[in-house]
Amino acid sequence: MKKLMNAPGDFVDQALDGLTMANPSIVRDGENGRVVRRAEGARKGKVGVASGGGSGHLPLFTGYVGKGLLDTCSIGNVFEGPNVGSCMDAIKLADGDRGVLRLYGNYGGDRMNFDMAGEMLEDEIRTTTVLGTDDIASASPEESAKRRGVAGIVYAYKIAGAKAETGADLDEVTAAAAKAVAATRTIGVALAPCQVPGSAKPTFTLGEDEIEMGMGIHGEPGIWRNKLRSADEIAGEMLERLLAETPNGAGSEVSILVNGLGATPLEELFILFRHASQKLSTAGFSIVQPLVGNYVTSMEMAGASISLCFLDEELKSMLAAPANCPFWRVG
Amino acid sequence: MSDFSVSDVKAVASKGAAAMVHLEQELNDADAKLGDGDTGGMLARVINAIDGATIASQDDVGACFSAYARAAATATGSSLGTLFATALMTFAKETKGKPAVPVAELGRLLELARDAMMVRGGANLGDKTVLDAIDAVAQALEGVSDPAEAKVRAVKATADVLTEFRGRPNKIGRARMFADQTIGLDDPGMLAFAKLCEAVT
Repeated sequence: MKKLMNAPGDFVDQALDGLTMANPSIVRDGENGRVVRRAEGARKGKVGVASGGGSGHLPLFTGYVGKGLLDTCSIGNVFEGPNVGSCMDAIKLADGDRGVLRLYGNYGGDRMNFDMAGEMLEDEIRTTTVLGTDDIASASPEESAKRRGVAGIVYAYKIAGAKAETGADLDEVTAAAAKAVAATRTIGVALAPCQVPGSAKPTFTLGEDEIEMGMGIHGEPGIWRNKLRSADEIAGEMLERLLAETPNGAGSEVSILVNGLGATPLEELFILFRHASQKLSTAGFSIVQPLVGNYVTSMEMAGASISLCFLDEELKSMLAAPANCPFWRVG
Repeated sequence: MSDFSVSDVKAVASKGAAAMVHLEQELNDADAKLGDGDTGGMLARVINAIDGATIASQDDVGACFSAYARAAATATGSSLGTLFATALMTFAKETKGKPAVPVAELGRLLELARDAMMVRGGANLGDKTVLDAIDAVAQALEGVSDPAEAKVRAVKATADVLTEFRGRPNKIGRARMFADQTIGLDDPGMLAFAKLCEAVT
């Protein structure tokens, strides 16, 4: 698989250099340069929101550092969590003396390292944790806490970031993030694999005429693998699975994110969106702030995910609040 | 009774680094069947970082393990790498200030590392993870003070535990959702421990 890079070992750091050079609103920081933070630094009196995860998913994670979103983000090697030191740096650099929400996907490495970082800083900084758990293909509804975090975590970023900007305290920001996670469901479909820089092989193989439903953003096995179907059939099944998990008490407004995994043209995403929006309308939902584009990728993996965030008045207003980062501007 | 010293620990690290040259792709392939296919690459980076770590004291086994733990924790943030660092940190605490550690202590050290890894990672024995392999070796080394016998027992224990668990489903991580499909496959972490055990003894 061909890649534009200089050396596999330089892939992450050179990409971070370019990302921050192209976007002066964010800078690299931390002992190993593996934290991206807002250029102006932590704001005194505001709750900090820190995230982190592995490289290879831009705009996730570092791309969402900005006003009304994340304050800091630690970043690991491709598809590996950030190390403990980077997690500690991200927490410290996000702190404006009112505590820090650690908001990241439910992956073993991320969880262990943020846990260790929080323990090491517990005498200095109060932290709370919310895990993104939106991938409905990764565990049954009965075990929803074990689900992994995928594209839907951007809703939690947006809502937590907006809440923090209001001057809310740490518990309130944490509760808003948890509410966003509880209101969000995602499922993905893969058409072709990606390859980690320096690796000899793609992360998985898929026949030319095959798709896999429910695949994870690192190529983790999905629910089924079969012949490629029409876009409407695929979007229809994805919506059916998502709506089957509509949260209890959900209202009639929903935001939808049709997300490209890296190598899927926007045209194909809009074809999926077209059918998904029809299905939502038929199901009695009105769509608020639809998002279509590459929000959480997996290198050059071909495919898409669909996320639904079921809104109440608080989530709706936090979603609409102004925000600005290199990849997402609201208001 | 025999002891091991800093030079023995360093020799094990160097053997491990050398072994990863040919183990990397095999472990990546094993992981690709259950996860994201990077176990070999990640472990190679971690073990190379350990092998290249600067050891402050040649007379303190604990300081050596501590340097290795820091090197492992810095080299990666992946779950298996962090668990590896957790185990090394446990060894470091238990051997701090000791110029030599009895081989007979190895089983106990592995038990402590196993327990620390369970607390950190949340897995249990029987889930079909690297913990089951560590547990098997810890038990096999109980009361063994002769290095040659320890090597034979450790290698046999890992081979046996791989065979025992191959027919069982993975009970943790994404693989648990497709538990039936994991029957017949080796857990990549368990396989890595077995292969490294064989390579360094």
